[in-house]
Amino acid sequence: MSEANNYNALLDKLSLQVSSFQEGFRILTESKSLKDIGKNFVHLLRGNLLVSDINLFQKRNENDEWKELYLQKPDSAEFINNLKTSEALNLNFEEELDYKVFATLRCIDNSYFGLIVGNKIDKTKFNSLDAITLQIFIRLLDNAYQTYVASIREKNLIFSLNHKVLQLNSLVDTGIEISKLENNTQLLELALERAVALTNASKGIMRIIRDDKVIATLRLPSTIDVAETLKSKDKIETQVDYRGYSYIVTLVDKESRSGTETFDNTDEILLTAFARQVHSAVENKELHREALENETIKKELSVASTIQKRIIPETLPEIEGYDLAGINISSKEVGGDFYDCRVLENGKIAMIMADVAGKGIPASLLVSSLSASLNAYLEMNIPLDELGAKLNKMIYNASTADKFITCYISILTPSTGELDIINAGHNPSLHLRKEKKLEKIEAGGVAFGMFDMGLPYQGEKRVIEKGERILMFTDGIPEAMNENEEEYSDERLEKFCVDNCFHSSDKFINELVADVRSFTKDTPQSDDITALYLIRK
Amino acid sequence: MVSEFKLSSEIKDDCVVISTTGYVNNLGGQKIVDEFESHHKNGLNSFIVNLAESKVVNSIGISFLIEVIEKLNDSNGKLLFTNLDPSVDKTFTIMGLFHYAEKADNVEEGLKLLTNHKE
Repeated sequence: MSEANNYNALLDKLSLQVSSFQEGFRILTESKSLKDIGKNFVHLLRGNLLVSDINLFQKRNENDEWKELYLQKPDSAEFINNLKTSEALNLNFEEELDYKVFATLRCIDNSYFGLIVGNKIDKTKFNSLDAITLQIFIRLLDNAYQTYVASIREKNLIFSLNHKVLQLNSLVDTGIEISKLENNTQLLELALERAVALTNASKGIMRIIRDDKVIATLRLPSTIDVAETLKSKDKIETQVDYRGYSYIVTLVDKESRSGTETFDNTDEILLTAFARQVHSAVENKELHREALENETIKKELSVASTIQKRIIPETLPEIEGYDLAGINISSKEVGGDFYDCRVLENGKIAMIMADVAGKGIPASLLVSSLSASLNAYLEMNIPLDELGAKLNKMIYNASTADKFITCYISILTPSTGELDIINAGHNPSLHLRKEKKLEKIEAGGVAFGMFDMGLPYQGEKRVIEKGERILMFTDGIPEAMNENEEEYSDERLEKFCVDNCFHSSDKFINELVADVRSFTKDTPQSDDITALYLIRK
Repeated sequence: MVSEFKLSSEIKDDCVVISTTGYVNNLGGQKIVDEFESHHKNGLNSFIVNLAESKVVNSIGISFLIEVIEKLNDSNGKLLFTNLDPSVDKTFTIMGLFHYAEKADNVEEGLKLLTNHKE
């Protein structure tokens, strides 16, 4: 047969196989896994070449070991050294060996297929048509593998894009979620969980540090050894500082399907973003807490102010033969000072000056209790030392250990000017006698509510003569401070009393306040200013 | 806080219920696939993954779950997730897992759905 005839015969035979090649390509490209590709390839080739066994191997790169992909005869692996790789398709026919065909194919991803083919079933030699058929099927395998690799890349790309969307979405969600959490530990735990998960870290640690000491450590998973985990070389770390606290977040061992890999820039950006969210959330929570606290204080002071206003008299009684004026200026919205002047049923006048330790509602309630008790006891006309003991017991029982009241009580008999006085730890009142002689009224006793030991309250009796004056006050006046933290002082107050003994009671009180203000200037008032001024005309 | 990964499984009405605890990551994902394979090779084709005690899942863990989904799709099987934390639910939605797997509020509801699917 001539060479032309040979070619024509070959072409005729190949033409008959075209549909078989097309079907083969369809089957190979529709294979769902690499193993399926190998299995389908072997079956297709076996049917087309009519050979006893076909064995397919693969290696990931030039230097890798051959691994079986689909074997019909395990002993074929013994001939693996006959697989010689090259850039191009390498196809060798070996007449003398048990296996007759050895082929290798370099793939698109630089991996290799290795093919070891046994004898033909009819024991005939491989001919030109077989060689061409074999080459065509190996090319089909190559194309199918390219499709497979492309589909894997496409899947990975979609997965990766979805993961980026997830990272962004989670970053936004986490910011919102942690801002809603009341509990700081929950907030930090959630942030750590998200940072670990979204960077594919295997472990995560958050250490909270104050004054160079670790005061708390959060771990994910919760059972990991912190010291051991921090020794890892594959880690990223970030730190945020807020009001003396440092939050150090460490992510360890980035995972991949094949083990671990190195954290990349995106991971570091994500970690920093989570850390910033933690900073913002902690800061917002702190500011919110402070705002609530300020609001609570404002409300408390407002309530206390209402209580105080109800128990401090709006007007003082007119006492025939006397000129009386009083004032109370609270340092904040409300203080713990209190004064009162009331006409008793027996015609006597009770004048009270008190100062509670503390401010706000507790102080006001204590003053309120004192005022109510005084109302009851004063009308009982009991001796003042006995009254003092009763008030002490009542205040002691009604207050906490840090609360007590200093109190000055004097009962005036208007017709005679007689004064019956007790002083429970309060500033001595000043009695300006005629000819500008100033006396301190030192009647003694401990502050109400300080002790419940039956300590006596020794009263004092004295007379205010016509033209004489008495100033009752709280420590807010002598202890008022200027910008140099100097006090107005008892001495200046006593001098003021002597120097201003010609004013009416109203005028005296106003001048006294003006003098205190001229001393303190712009320094904020640190304590209540309270005074009662009595002149016997 | 999130604990170490643990897993348990039981068979109910020809359905394998795999319940997990802790971080579903490389380790957790591999354990789920191993557990799945051990039942799948015995012909079981309906699976529930109960994530009630797993609030944290990373993308490596998800890739293992996708592997389970793909294998079940090839064998006309079914995978269903139950007791999903809202953040895990959202993660699975974004990663496209619910294109090929279902979800239910709890295992009982999941078993009903899988039974209906078989019928």
